[in-house]
Amino acid sequence: MRIVKFCLAIALMIALVSAWKQPDEPMPTGPYALQYPASFGGRFTIPANNPLTQEGVYLGRLLFYEPRLSKTNTISCGSCHQQNRAFTDGRALSIGVSGKPTSRNSMSLANLLWVRQFFWDGRAASLEDQVRVPLTHTDEMGMAPEEAAKALQQTGFYPALFRRVFGSDTITDARISKAIAQFERTLISANSRYDQYQQGHYTLTEAEQNGLHLFSSAPAPERGIRGGNCAHCHGGLKLVQELFHNNGLDQVAPDAGRQTITGLGLDHGRFRVPTLRNIALTAPYMHDGRLATLEAVIDHYSDHIQSSPSLSRELMADSDKPTGFHFTTKEKSDLLAFLPLLTDSSFVTNPQFSDPNNLKRTAVKPHHSTN
Amino acid sequence: MHSFFLNQNTVLPNRIRYASAVLCLFVFLLVTSTKAQTVLTISGEVTKPLTLQAADIKAMPHTSVTGKDRDGKEHQYSGIPLVNLLKLAGATLGGELRGENLVKYAVVKAIDGYEVLFALPEIDPEYATRTILLADSVDGSPLPQGVGPYRVVVPGEKKPARWIREVKSIEIRFAK
Repeated sequence: MRIVKFCLAIALMIALVSAWKQPDEPMPTGPYALQYPASFGGRFTIPANNPLTQEGVYLGRLLFYEPRLSKTNTISCGSCHQQNRAFTDGRALSIGVSGKPTSRNSMSLANLLWVRQFFWDGRAASLEDQVRVPLTHTDEMGMAPEEAAKALQQTGFYPALFRRVFGSDTITDARISKAIAQFERTLISANSRYDQYQQGHYTLTEAEQNGLHLFSSAPAPERGIRGGNCAHCHGGLKLVQELFHNNGLDQVAPDAGRQTITGLGLDHGRFRVPTLRNIALTAPYMHDGRLATLEAVIDHYSDHIQSSPSLSRELMADSDKPTGFHFTTKEKSDLLAFLPLLTDSSFVTNPQFSDPNNLKRTAVKPHHSTN
Repeated sequence: MHSFFLNQNTVLPNRIRYASAVLCLFVFLLVTSTKAQTVLTISGEVTKPLTLQAADIKAMPHTSVTGKDRDGKEHQYSGIPLVNLLKLAGATLGGELRGENLVKYAVVKAIDGYEVLFALPEIDPEYATRTILLADSVDGSPLPQGVGPYRVVVPGEKKPARWIREVKSIEIRFAK
């Protein structure tokens, strides 16, 4: 027995030394200090029963990359939310444990701290509530309620980690959700070229400048002003506003979107206006991933808006403008020059957000069950 | 390939495609319009939270104001003064709008998630010189698609960003 333990210890040491990065040793504890630009503002709420702690974020990160949370032990949150793609998966629709595609496109996880209504249709009011859906959905991670908790309870190391975070060894789905939510609140992206430009640390090229102008300006034909008015819905510095719009993909939407949540006819085919942060990394686009490239997205807003009763007013034709923006070839290329500035390379390579591999076993002493 | 892609790629005469789309839309509108839907809620720091349907609002006494919309032109808007709706819900207005109630505000939300706020004194005629309206018609016609069914109109405000369209709810809160 001793020899086995000795060998295990040696193996662990080798694993540690050969690992890309050292684990946080010992497990960090204490309040977690969020860092974000003052311009992002403090309009967010962290639930009183789930304060942000360093140990909670640490556990949340382990769980985010934990395939044991899926029925097949093969799918973690990180499978469909890959850091190098700004936490999306590159597919039109995600593939989970059933092998069948999910109904909507995997969303980027950035600056969720400021989001109040989660999912494409805004149906979850907190990250804690949101986490439970993919965990139990048959086409995502496919776990029956509390099945994930049971699976972790049987491991050697998780009960001790949960004790450190929640004060007891008992693992529940609610605690799993809380820890993952804590980790997700730390996924802050604020260092794109666009952010640097805002701070006066980056000079735009001419094409980027033109693209920014189109991005920010509302078209005003009577004054000869061209614009794409993107910022009107996609927001300013944070590059997101919490809005739900029908962006003219279909005359009759095959997916009713927010209407399924609110029951309102006017919500037919409305979906979240997603963040444009890291948009160059998060193809394919739209709630169903139907548009493969940014070029296709710009073409859509330029020339392919479909009218319907719930079409966003910003995209409607009126007396002095047709439906769609009808960009010139040069305007399209200027917009395409600007959009990559929203990529935050430090966010997609930040080791704090990466898969901690198998370092979890070293975080605390192994937990020995008494039976 | 998903079914709707196939629909787009299937060679169908445009007329048939258009007609079927219109038919689907008609059925959808029929289904959604036959249910009496809540069109406006007033909640929060009020004594009588309200859940109103279109008929309730239609039956309330209407007032007219003129205001300059984004097009720079004067229009005549008809609707219910916001103060009357809030009084109906039992918000602290008139004689009660003093002391700590002066840090209360109304958050108005639109269907698309857009939100604006007004401090209660901006809404109360004992303080304000202009009537903020929850409008349901403009120049004698119902508000157009994407603007209605209800829109806040703030006469004299130089920028119409608080003229929030597609109003869905009003919540009274305390600044804490």
